[in-house]
Formats: sequence, C-alpha cells, structure tokens
Amino acid sequence: MYISTNQSRRKFLRTTVGSAAAIGVGAALPKCFAEAASGRSNTTERILVVVQMSGGNDGLNTIVPYADDDYRSARPKLAIPTSDVMKCDDDNGFHPSMTGMHELLQDGKFAAVRNVGYEKPNRSHFESMDIWHTCRRKDEPRPDGWLGRFLDQQPLAAGGDVPALHLGREQQPAAIASTSIRVPTVNELAEFQLRGNDKQSLRKLLQNRQPTHSASENELLSFLQSSTTSAIAASQRVTEAASSYQSDVKYPQTELGNKLRVVAQLIDSGMNTRIYYVQHDGFDTHAQQDQTHTILLRQWSDAVSALVRDLEGHDHGKRVCVMTFSEFGRRVSENASEGTDHGAAGPMFLCGGGVKAGIVGKRPNLTDLQDGDLKHEYDFRQVYASVLKDWLGTDPSPVLGKEYASLPLFA
Amino acid sequence: MNNMHSVDPAWAWQPFEPTADQPWDRSTVAHLYRRSGFGMDLIRIDETVNRTPADVVKELVAGNRESTDFRSTADALAEATLAGGDAKKLSAAWVYRLLYTPNQLLEKTTLLWHGHFATGAEKVKDARMMWNQNQLLRDHALGDFGDLVHKISQDSAMLVYLDSVVNRKAHPNENFARELMELFCLGEGSYTEMDVLELARCFTGWEIKNKKFRKNRYQHDTETKTVLGQSGNFDGEDGVRIVLEQPAAPLFVARKLYRFFVSDEPNPTDAMLQPLADAFRESDLQVAPVVQRILGSNLFYSSISIGRKIKSPVELVLGMLRSLKATTNTQLVAKGLLNIGQGLFYPPNVKGWDGGRAWVNSSTLLGRANLVADILENEATRFDGKSLAEYLRDQGVRTTEQAIEHFEHCLLAVRLDEPTKTQIRQTVTSGSGDEERRMRSLLHAMTSLPICQLA
Repeated sequence: MYISTNQSRRKFLRTTVGSAAAIGVGAALPKCFAEAASGRSNTTERILVVVQMSGGNDGLNTIVPYADDDYRSARPKLAIPTSDVMKCDDDNGFHPSMTGMHELLQDGKFAAVRNVGYEKPNRSHFESMDIWHTCRRKDEPRPDGWLGRFLDQQPLAAGGDVPALHLGREQQPAAIASTSIRVPTVNELAEFQLRGNDKQSLRKLLQNRQPTHSASENELLSFLQSSTTSAIAASQRVTEAASSYQSDVKYPQTELGNKLRVVAQLIDSGMNTRIYYVQHDGFDTHAQQDQTHTILLRQWSDAVSALVRDLEGHDHGKRVCVMTFSEFGRRVSENASEGTDHGAAGPMFLCGGGVKAGIVGKRPNLTDLQDGDLKHEYDFRQVYASVLKDWLGTDPSPVLGKEYASLPLFA
Repeated sequence: MNNMHSVDPAWAWQPFEPTADQPWDRSTVAHLYRRSGFGMDLIRIDETVNRTPADVVKELVAGNRESTDFRSTADALAEATLAGGDAKKLSAAWVYRLLYTPNQLLEKTTLLWHGHFATGAEKVKDARMMWNQNQLLRDHALGDFGDLVHKISQDSAMLVYLDSVVNRKAHPNENFARELMELFCLGEGSYTEMDVLELARCFTGWEIKNKKFRKNRYQHDTETKTVLGQSGNFDGEDGVRIVLEQPAAPLFVARKLYRFFVSDEPNPTDAMLQPLADAFRESDLQVAPVVQRILGSNLFYSSISIGRKIKSPVELVLGMLRSLKATTNTQLVAKGLLNIGQGLFYPPNVKGWDGGRAWVNSSTLLGRANLVADILENEATRFDGKSLAEYLRDQGVRTTEQAIEHFEHCLLAVRLDEPTKTQIRQTVTSGSGDEERRMRSLLHAMTSLPICQLA
C-alpha cells in the first residue's frame, strides 16, 4: 500500500495550518513545512503497535514451564495441568486460552522473550510502569517516555498525520509523552468528532488558535491550546482516514478487539502514523486468578492474532509489529486467595510478519529467586533497543540514554 | 512570582492580605468558590466581595456536615437508586449532591478522598458497599484523617477492591498493606518491601463476611512483626497506627491537598509544604484546619495558584451549572463524566485520577465540548428555572458583550484577550437563530475554549 506523494501533498496543502502545523508544538512548525516541501512520504515505513497488559501479567502461567516440578509445587492450585497446556517443546507450552498465538507461532509470526525485567525491581504498579515507560528511575527527571523521545527524533509525517496515536479510555501512557509533540487519544471513532448545532463555527473557533498573551506566561494554558488544535486536526484526519475500510477478519467483540480493529482501519487508510498504543487492563490478579487470567489472555491472543491476520490480508503484514509487555510478572508461589502477588521479571511478546519466531531466553529458574520473584535475564531496554534499531530503524542509544545489547528478534 | 523557589514559605501560608495587585474582588472571590467548591453565581460573588476573606473561608470550612434536611433528601434519592442495585446509577445520585449541596467544600473534599482512597465499582460490583464508602468519606471529609484511614482499612468496598476479603495467616495478602503505605499515607520510597510483607501480616484474619467487616482470630498471625522499625505482636489497627505515626505521613497528605486546592504544577518543594505538614501533625491530623489555612493564604490568591490547575471534568461541568444556577438531567451528567475521564465511583485504578495535564487529551477535549453541547440541548436543562436567555436578562445582561463578560466572570480563571473576544463575537453573530440559540452557542463556545479548561 502506497499513497502517492502528490496525494499526500495535496492533503497537506489543503489542511496545512488546520492540521499539520497544529500537531506540532511551537518550534515544530518550520520543520513541518520543510518536510512538506521535501515531499517525502512515510507510508511504506514500519509501524509499531504496543499492547500494554496493565496490572502485572503472570508470565509463568502465560508461557508455562509445564515440565518443571518446582512450578507445580509453587502453585498447587494455579498450575496449568500438563494435559491442558499447548506444548511448544519439551519444556514450554502456552496457556490453553492462547490458541491464536499458538497458530501465529506455527506460522512464524510470534516471538517471546522471557525473563525480562530490570535491576532492583519495583513492585509498585505505578512506579514500575513509569520505569518501563520512561526508562528512568524515580530520582531522575522524566518529562518524556521512550516512544516520545523516538518521536522527537523523527521527521514529522507528511500529510498532516499524527506521529502516534493512543486508543482507549484510559489516561495517556507516559511512554508516548514527548516534549515537542502532542499525541492524540481516540476513545471511539464515533465520539471523536465535535457534536452540536454549532459544530462548524466551533471548529473554526478552536482550530488555528494563536497562542494568547497569557499563554506565554502560563504553561498549562499553552499546553491546553496546543492540545485543542491538535484534537481538532486529528479528529478531522482520523475520521477521514477510517471511513472506507472493509475486512473479512472477525475481531473478537471485546474492548481490545475493537481498538485493534480501529488500528487496522487507520493503518490501511494510509495514515503515516508509526506508533499505535493500546492498553489491556485487569492483570492485577491477587485473588481467584485462574478464571480472570484465562479471559484476559484469550482476549489478548484473539485480538492480536486477528490484527496480524487482518494486516496480512491487506498487505501490511510485513510492516507492522505488535509488541506486548507488562509492568512486572507475578510472585512464583501462589497466595492463599488463589491468586498471585506482585513479582518481578516476566515475558514480552512480539507478533507480526517481520519477527523471528520462537522463544528467546532460558527456562525461568524457579529455585534461584530474589525475594520470591524471578530474576531477570534481559533488561527490558534490550528489547526496546532491538525494536528501535532493527524494526524502527533508528539509533537506540539517544532514546534509551545508554547502549543496550540488542537481541535477534527480527527476521 | 511564577517561580516557586523565590517564594518564602512563611509568607505563603500567612493569611491573605489583599494588595493593589491582588485585591479581594470578583476574580479572587470566584477563584475561592471554584477551588473550594464548583462555582458560584455572579450575584453571590458580588455579595462576597463585601465580606472579609477570612470570614468567608471560616464559614466554608465550618460547613463540614450536611444539613439534616439536605441529607435526608439526597439519601432518599440514593436509596431509590440502591434499590435497583446498579452501581452505574449511583453516579447520578452523587451528581445530585454535587449540583444541589449547600456545603460545596464538603462535597469537594469528599471527591478528593474518593480519588485518594480510590475504589472502583467495576470490581466491587456492589452498589450498597460503594455508597456506604461514599458516606464514610463524606462523614470524615473535613474531619480526622487518622480516623478515616482506620475506617477505610475496614471498609468492605475497599477490601473487596484490593482483594483482601479473606486474609489468611499462611499467605498474607500484600495488596492492601502495600497501597496503605504507597498511595494512602506515605508515598513510594518511604518503606521497604520487607515492610510490605510485615504489615500484610498485621492484617491477617481480617475478612468481609456478608458484606461486613470481621476479624477471624484463627487466621490472625500472632507472632512478632517488625513494621517500619517497630516490633511487636501487632494487629491491623496497630499497623495503621504505625503507618500514620511516620513523619512522611503529614507531608504526603499536605502534598495531596496542595495539588488539589492550589496548583497542578510545578511540584511544591518540601520546604513549601512543611508549614502545612507541621500544622497537620500538630492538630492530630485534622483536615479542616489545614484546608482553612490553604484557602485563606497569600499563596492561594497569588499567581502561583490562580489559573494554575486544569479543571477536572466534574469541575468543568458542575462549575458551569452551578455558576449559572443551572439544573439538568443528572444521569446525562453522570454518564458524560465517565466518558471524559471522571466517572464517579469509577476511578481508573487504585491510584485514582492523576489530574493535571492527564485530564486532557484529544478525546477528552472533544468530549468536554460535546458533553456541554449535550447538556445545553437537553430539555431538562434550566437556569434558575428559566431559559438561558431569560436567566441572563434577569441578571441585567442585554447584549452579547455583556453575556461574554458575565460568563467570563463566573467561568474563567484567566481573562480573555481581545483577539479571542473578537473571534467569539464572530462565532456567535455568524450563527443564525433566536436569542436563546445565540446565548447557548456563546456559552458552548466559551466553555470549549482552552482557557476555560483552566481552574
């Protein structure tokens, strides 16, 4: 799928101030004009879809070390029976609800990295999530996220498209916070337009707003003004982009399924957006984990595999990668409420036509623990480094703040 | 003055002395009403200008209980909702209180604690439990913080939410113990992982049976625990007491109050908060004196505070309604608030709403404008029982210009500049329709402006 440069430029010229310029903040404006003049288009570039499992996914019950006796003794109630596991090899298998992922693995479109974490793990959901989002610890300044820093380095997309998009009702993740770009959040496409009798004149009033004199003194007001112009612009472009999409792939009727269907719609419409971010909440399974975790993993596996299939059917299979992570894994032993408490290292997942399929990393060592939790084998920034370098084609160290050895995750 | 480091903490918390730069006028009075509650109509604002700031704040804080009359009406309404058992409808019962309460500060502070001791109906699923917690928060909103924490630690909705319905000594559940320190009292970094494990042991044996709290002594761990440096055979009450005794506690709560009442950013220094924290500790963790100190302070009426918060969805919508003596369909408001990120009884997670810039993104900004449009188009919406045009006429508003000024005084923390006013005039005059249509259009436009999102 390729949108001709001419078309992009036409669109750009039509909406110049109304959208393209509005996406950037302040100093980004001239850069944006420069991009348009050079006439480049990013529609063949690779895309990253991030799925965040919020709450701390139980990695041991996701990729199950079914042959390990220590696994069964740590989890008398929660261990997945060997007969239920979908086996990948003599040691590892998938949780039985992950049929979609199992098929992707067989098709060479699924990779997992196990034992991913970081030094001195923090077991607070919020602090640990911040660490994953910003790659910084609490005592360091963290005004932006790793994807935000990636976006800062990219030339602004032609055609006035947003460089990244967050889909969902939740608060925007810090990972896409940037110092120069406002990433829009779209809840539902139908809701992402102005309503009311006076919407035309209101749109006119809200777009193209010049910063007021008071905005220069009040950063919150500047933030509100650029967010508002960005919202109006993104609303027009996204609504336009999504209108003509058709697909034979059946997405599950779940929140995540609906969000990922919209992602496919927008990718297929030729938007130049390179990062899509969605959250899948509910993994904080302190009690009665079994049923909840089964549902959550099924929702994830079904929705992500539908997206991968759908993109393949529309010839985007080779340029989209779906990366899934969680803020921590859970404690190796189950607790008395048939759940698990906050842990440390856990697996990450990559799906799509470009990944090198398989499971990276050793079998989790369930006897050599740190405060009852799995020790990490890989730093999560190694996975980010691989994604930045081998997938998004950029130098990872300025984004991550340091060199991290990448992993062979892409074909 | 925008640089907080140049502000003397002693000056900051002294009683507000009006100056030529910062007089006690419509603008500062409206600021007080917007922050201590949701908003006030212009007539009342003008009356308040003639009183002293200290008297007004004192009176606001003294309204720390609902009048029996109002309470029985509001409770009756909630009870009718509870009969249906649907937690979603409960939100509307709370909107009723927000819309009609004569004790706005009490309701505002109840909302603060709901975001602080955040508990979500999505998981609790029991409307009655959620409502009981809400009444608990209201009863202690301006009272004794320690008492509130003790009661919250035995509150059914909270314990269901944090998976502590059954807490057995063989495997203590860490969730409540962790959040008690991290989110409710001390803040991340003021305790160790070992403290989490040991504090969790104190709460063993605590259960919810038949929706009520009880202690199961057979499941209580009676061995010695060491929590935050103290050792003994502690139970849950001891655990809460030890947490509250930590020096980090008053500072942590003072920071929360500061963010809620004073400004979103920048983050205040410890030195700035220390006088508040000291006062909080000296008063044995009584909330009202600290809130009174904040609302009556020099800092509160300075440029560090005025216009330095982003309105929460509740503040935007209820602010518009209360400033214009408006009433509307409470269900519509409740559902709308959920859509734009502040569903009452539906906080996003146990950390509650982050607030500040996090209130705003493309979706919620469009959603804010759309919700105001829906409210203005709803036939239940009346302004002091009248149409908007009639209401404004009764206030002496005759022209578009006067209407802009009226809305500006009661809804905006920061004055409009001339270019924006010109654009608004064009927006309104370009539209067709009768006077009512024009006034609604004007109100919709003004509430949708970026500047109106500032509190």
